[in-house]
Amino acid sequence: MIPYLIRVAVKSVVTLFAIATITFIATRLSGNPIDTFLGDGLTEEGRAELIRYFQLDGSLWQQYLAFMRGAVSGEFGLSFVDRRPVTEVVSDRLWASGQLLLASVAFTLLVAIPLGILGAIYRKSWIGSAVMMVAFAGYAVPSFILAIVMVLVFSYWLNWLPVVGNGSFAHFIMPTIAMSGVLIAALTRFTRNAMLDVLGQDFIRTARAKGLGEARVVLRHGLGNAGVTVISVIGLQVAGLAAAGSVVVESIFSWPGIGQLLVNAALVRDYPVLQFGVITVAVAVVAINALTDVSYALADPRIRLARS
Amino acid sequence: MFRLMLTTALAVLPLAATAQEITVGAANMAPYLDPGRDHSNVGSQFYYNSFDTLIDRDHTKLEPEWVPALATSWELISPTVMELKLRDGVKFHNGDPMTADDVIFSLNRMMQATFPPYVVRAKDRLANFPEAEKVDENTIRIHANREEPLWETLISLQQVMIIPEAYTKALTGDPDVAEDSDFEAFALAPVGTGPYKIESFQPGEKLVWTRFDDFWGEKAPLERVNVVQISETASRVTALKTGEADIITNIAPDQLSLIDNDPALKTAGSATALFHVMIMNQNHPKLKDPRIRQAMSLAIDRDALNEALWLGKAIVPSTHTMAEMGELHQPDLVTFEYDPERAKELLAEAGYDGFEITYDTAPSYYTNGVLAAQAIMEMWAAVGINGKIVVGDKWTGNSPDLMARNWSNPMYFADPFGSFGVMWAPDGPSQSEGRFNTDEAYAETWDRFRYSTDVAVRKAAYAELMERVKEDPAVLPLYRPFESWGMKTAINWAPMPGHIPYVLDFRAGSITLAGS
Repeated sequence: MIPYLIRVAVKSVVTLFAIATITFIATRLSGNPIDTFLGDGLTEEGRAELIRYFQLDGSLWQQYLAFMRGAVSGEFGLSFVDRRPVTEVVSDRLWASGQLLLASVAFTLLVAIPLGILGAIYRKSWIGSAVMMVAFAGYAVPSFILAIVMVLVFSYWLNWLPVVGNGSFAHFIMPTIAMSGVLIAALTRFTRNAMLDVLGQDFIRTARAKGLGEARVVLRHGLGNAGVTVISVIGLQVAGLAAAGSVVVESIFSWPGIGQLLVNAALVRDYPVLQFGVITVAVAVVAINALTDVSYALADPRIRLARS
Repeated sequence: MFRLMLTTALAVLPLAATAQEITVGAANMAPYLDPGRDHSNVGSQFYYNSFDTLIDRDHTKLEPEWVPALATSWELISPTVMELKLRDGVKFHNGDPMTADDVIFSLNRMMQATFPPYVVRAKDRLANFPEAEKVDENTIRIHANREEPLWETLISLQQVMIIPEAYTKALTGDPDVAEDSDFEAFALAPVGTGPYKIESFQPGEKLVWTRFDDFWGEKAPLERVNVVQISETASRVTALKTGEADIITNIAPDQLSLIDNDPALKTAGSATALFHVMIMNQNHPKLKDPRIRQAMSLAIDRDALNEALWLGKAIVPSTHTMAEMGELHQPDLVTFEYDPERAKELLAEAGYDGFEITYDTAPSYYTNGVLAAQAIMEMWAAVGINGKIVVGDKWTGNSPDLMARNWSNPMYFADPFGSFGVMWAPDGPSQSEGRFNTDEAYAETWDRFRYSTDVAVRKAAYAELMERVKEDPAVLPLYRPFESWGMKTAINWAPMPGHIPYVLDFRAGSITLAGS
């Protein structure tokens, strides 16, 4: 198990290094912060003065080295715009995004796993078909469409739910559903398929033959074994959600999280905030992936043993 | 009668519970708040409620009418020195009394700027003022290098709003020295003398104002104002509907009917004191012949753009001028016209061979920017110009490859110097970016326009500058876009004609709530 953990750790560090480098280059390619956030009407002389002030005058290579040196020692610089340490700017937003992500994952598990099991057990009846319909619909509807339609129906027309910020429980409902849509679709399908595979196996027949109750057969022997597949899917999908889903959903619901911060920072080319924000999200994604790998190994002795 | 009373009661009801508190849903929240270094459309929304200048103007009037603010009186004691008497009993939001030292500190932080963001802002508008000096506890003097025709205008700029000296210096490092980091810290914890105190500020996210009870003038009509960034237009409009916001900013023209159709809501708007412009590169090898640029300009039917994109609510100017500029407003000048036949002739004379002319635009920075660009391509095609739109976020105004693109020329203050002047001065941004040329004659005319104390001379000189622009065009003002705010019908607020664009003025007399 230990060598396996080491391998996961090394893989994670290399991935983060690559992401930091790509982020650095990508932000530099996209334009100059001086031209975007200081407004119109700057003379070349004034521009040069500000470029010096914000330390953008070194070569790209020098800036990259400075950035990497800082990153290693935990110094990620000041935001070009509000001149606070980016670590502070980003951490202010972390909890709001984390709450939304946790709410979405919890909601997804509560909905998708029962649905997937139902879909597997009743695969030949209308219930199974209905489950699959829901799953396909969830795949087909992007989160921003789902969000806008919910806003239109539940806020604009019915005036039941608030659309701005994260002030109360009611504020969580629409963003959570919008974030979970695709995830529920994916997980329902995977749970159903994994359950179908497992329920057709000999040991299930044996369990039934032993006279175990159907609930116990399905939940303990069925779900227990289907769990391996399900875990890997959750890990991958949640990582994707943390990275991409939140950007759109947070913007629509003015959710004070990292997604919204990154959109604003990208608009004004606030390199330090963008870099650190992306790296923070990357750390979350890599951590989730590493956790998935580990729990996958814990859940399935074959993997653990084969890899070590 | 009973029905009337009932409907009135119902109309007032939603606000009654929070009579003195409103929430504004803003498309953009400022990332920092320092009136000195800021001249963005985002920041301009917020300063007037929390900061004062020495001299203010009556913002209900289009024509400048100066009124005392932190200075109670002012006079020129020589052609280049203005003496101002300071108001007694003014307090800053942190409780410090305002002194002559605070005023000198605020003025000289700009006039003798060392903090780079101040330097660049001071250079384009305050260059004629070398320093401010304290005479006694109630009197200060401001010195000018040359006779100044725009004293009041420039002393009432957002950039010279008054901030507390001791508080600012003590923010970081040595409490007796004004370091760059002090000004950076100030921008996150701003303190002024205005009727609303900045209670809390989360950059790019939220701002809370509370009434400042020690304000020197008439007290603020609202107890508390929350400004929340709601970047999505659809979410902003919905927030107004659900009651999460009482006022929302930046409504696109095509969304106005959504709000106006709801009896509980209304809109207010005005043509912003800002031009969306097309700029052309005088120095691009293929555009050196001014006739080609004249044709690019004459081919554009700006009235058609206004009708199609702004429902006819924008203002299409005949020259680079605005009614806000008072005596310097010259609507009779005709610098820019639509004349497609003339455009065709000029292209033929110049021997235009159908080469491609690129027109750069940002994807969303200017409302309707891309749509206008598409329409302009059609208009160009109608006279035989082979145009191509290049959409990108990168600013290309300083690129030698630039041919044409969109830009804006805001009115930073109510004078042609505050609009055309900032952008098209000799050695100003346009020239220093290499797409606009001036010569000695231009500079000489410019000087008369900028510094003559005779209004007639200034007007004549400005007309000469416009003639130069017509002969060798580098800019075409397209229109003044129409900007709208949405609000509950119970709120009585509208943008005031005497302000620079986008100011959310919630001072006494500027906003009232039915039922409060």
